[in-house]
Amino acid sequence: MRADTSLGEMRHAFQAALEAGDLVEATRSGRSLLSKNPLLAAASFIRHAVDKSSPERLSLTSVRVALLSSFSIEFIHDALIALGFLDGLRVELYQAGFGQFRQDILNRDSALYAFAPDAVVLALEGKDLVPDVYRHDIPDAADLNATVTEAGRELANLAEVFRERSAATLLIHNFAPPIWRRLGILDGEAGPSQADLVSALNTHLGRVCRESRGIHTVDYAGLVQRTGALSWYDDRMAFYARAPIARGALPELAREYLKFLRALIGKTKKCLVLDLDNTLWGGVVGEEGPQGIALGPEYPGSAFVDFQRAVRGLRQRGVILAIASKNNPADVDEVFASNNHMILRRDDFSVVRVGWNAKSQSVSEIAAHLNIAPDHIVYVDDNPAECDEVAHALPAVTVLPLPPQPEHFVRALLEPGYFDSLSVSTEDLRRAELYEQRDQAEELRAQSDSLEDFYRRLEMEVTFALVDNSSVARAAQLTQKTNQFNVTTIRYSEAEVLERCADPDNLVKTVRVRDRFGDNGIVGVMMAHASESEVEIDTLLLSCRVIGRTVETAMLAHVSEYAAQRGARRIRGRIVPTAKNAPARDLYERHGFQSHPSDSTEEAAWSLDLATGGIQYPKWMKVVAETG
Amino acid sequence: MEQKVKEIMGDVLDLDPQAIDGHTAMDTIESWDSQAHINLCLCLEQDFQIAFTVAEIEAMLSYSDILRVLREKL
Repeated sequence: MRADTSLGEMRHAFQAALEAGDLVEATRSGRSLLSKNPLLAAASFIRHAVDKSSPERLSLTSVRVALLSSFSIEFIHDALIALGFLDGLRVELYQAGFGQFRQDILNRDSALYAFAPDAVVLALEGKDLVPDVYRHDIPDAADLNATVTEAGRELANLAEVFRERSAATLLIHNFAPPIWRRLGILDGEAGPSQADLVSALNTHLGRVCRESRGIHTVDYAGLVQRTGALSWYDDRMAFYARAPIARGALPELAREYLKFLRALIGKTKKCLVLDLDNTLWGGVVGEEGPQGIALGPEYPGSAFVDFQRAVRGLRQRGVILAIASKNNPADVDEVFASNNHMILRRDDFSVVRVGWNAKSQSVSEIAAHLNIAPDHIVYVDDNPAECDEVAHALPAVTVLPLPPQPEHFVRALLEPGYFDSLSVSTEDLRRAELYEQRDQAEELRAQSDSLEDFYRRLEMEVTFALVDNSSVARAAQLTQKTNQFNVTTIRYSEAEVLERCADPDNLVKTVRVRDRFGDNGIVGVMMAHASESEVEIDTLLLSCRVIGRTVETAMLAHVSEYAAQRGARRIRGRIVPTAKNAPARDLYERHGFQSHPSDSTEEAAWSLDLATGGIQYPKWMKVVAETG
Repeated sequence: MEQKVKEIMGDVLDLDPQAIDGHTAMDTIESWDSQAHINLCLCLEQDFQIAFTVAEIEAMLSYSDILRVLREKL
């Protein structure tokens, strides 16, 4: 009975926090509700409470999701809304009737398009799309290879039509192989086996997704496999309610969708901060010594080696690594220098904080050093007390307490998909190196006599280029991820960026910055629209790595040049303040724009009369304008 | 058990658990539609760690029916 009381209290705490508009507390109590209660009922409770709350009081990011399916998928709604809420999302749903997906996609006037979704999930079971491949008996007439090719073609056609009608992100399930095979143990030797046929269908789908913009595969087969097909499916509900996915699996599927949705709206984590003792290796280095820690071919050292490989894999994907450890720096240095079992090297970490400060202070220093917001940081520690300390001092940081046994660390790190993104750009893969370049530049800044001296010695070259196939993913990614130097924080999918480019009256350009320390890659995007007498900037953003180097002045000069070519008399711009874009707020003011009364109380409008001469490129940089 | 059932019904059907009694039935509660019914059964299964047959699902059309089916199974 005591458990029930505390559940009741948690419900009240959750509702009270919602009413008070306290998102941090609501998230915290919502999370404990979902972990203590049977998940589905708690999800329903949270969903109803969130539905009743006033959205404007909570700073949730709204995302409109349409679910199209070949079966009844609506039992996922509560889990998707509740788990989305814990990720800071207000998920608004459109549910098509099962089997209505063709009509919804093909018909231009369908309710799907009227809903104006941000993301559309196309959840098809193989059994429904290619029943002959899944049947227990051998179908009479069928050439199953042809069936699969035809289904692949249909998916390609649906994707193409969808892309013509909508710029939303489309997520298509791939297909899990049938559980029971017609030929039993001989399936693997049959030609073509049922497993081969499904895998061929998945290959078709993979190609469709690779060749289009903003269409992605949800690895449903992988998800079913991770859970185990026998636990994933509920045959009773499959036959009775056309709802084949088991109750325990629904939240897993919702979590998988949320990985995509988080990436879509810029909530992908960028930095992993790690503890050392009993996290990267077993034992305490201060006690066991650099060679005495558990790390190497034997358990438990083998599990720590495996975990280090997973961390290294994240770094290779572009995640910035940092260390926050309570230790003597000399011991830690010695481990990196002399323990041959270490997979991670010291220079894999962009910031290392070893000392006796509170962990939250180290994490804050790391965030400040890297110039990234705390909500892009994941903090990992085996010690629950340290985890609590960081979670309370820095509620925006995602804290990941490790399970007691090291063999479960990899799962704990990778399962939530915090670092998943919708594309991996060259810049991602080089990110750690790019931060090193930035550190070198900052050193140069410190050594320089004046700012102008610094700019000159930096030898910057700024390249403005039209968006093309090689840069569209990076351009969209920057709009999704950039929070600080971003005047309007409008997010674009790849398809939406291309849509903007298609209008000849739009200026859509990427900004690449090179300096004496190397190529920083594409670090900025701007979008402007030209009308008869004006050019209006609606997007201007810059990666935090290159803030404070007058690149933004060059961007405005580029717009100014464009405006002059178009014969415009004025440049307009607006600032939409967010919790994070303080660095961008004085952009227009600093460059001599005049403030304007705005229709909205929340945003500030600015304009610059070009009769006064426009904006010049800073004289210390070389400017290259690629024309395509 | 009664308390737990009321709480789950409250969560899923968006009702005040205190207000649930012998008269609470699918016929009388607007939010208790066929989709919510499946949802409710799945939540009960998850909490009580049991599995209903389709016949049981079709029989649990009120708070008292649910208690009766649960008592038979537990």
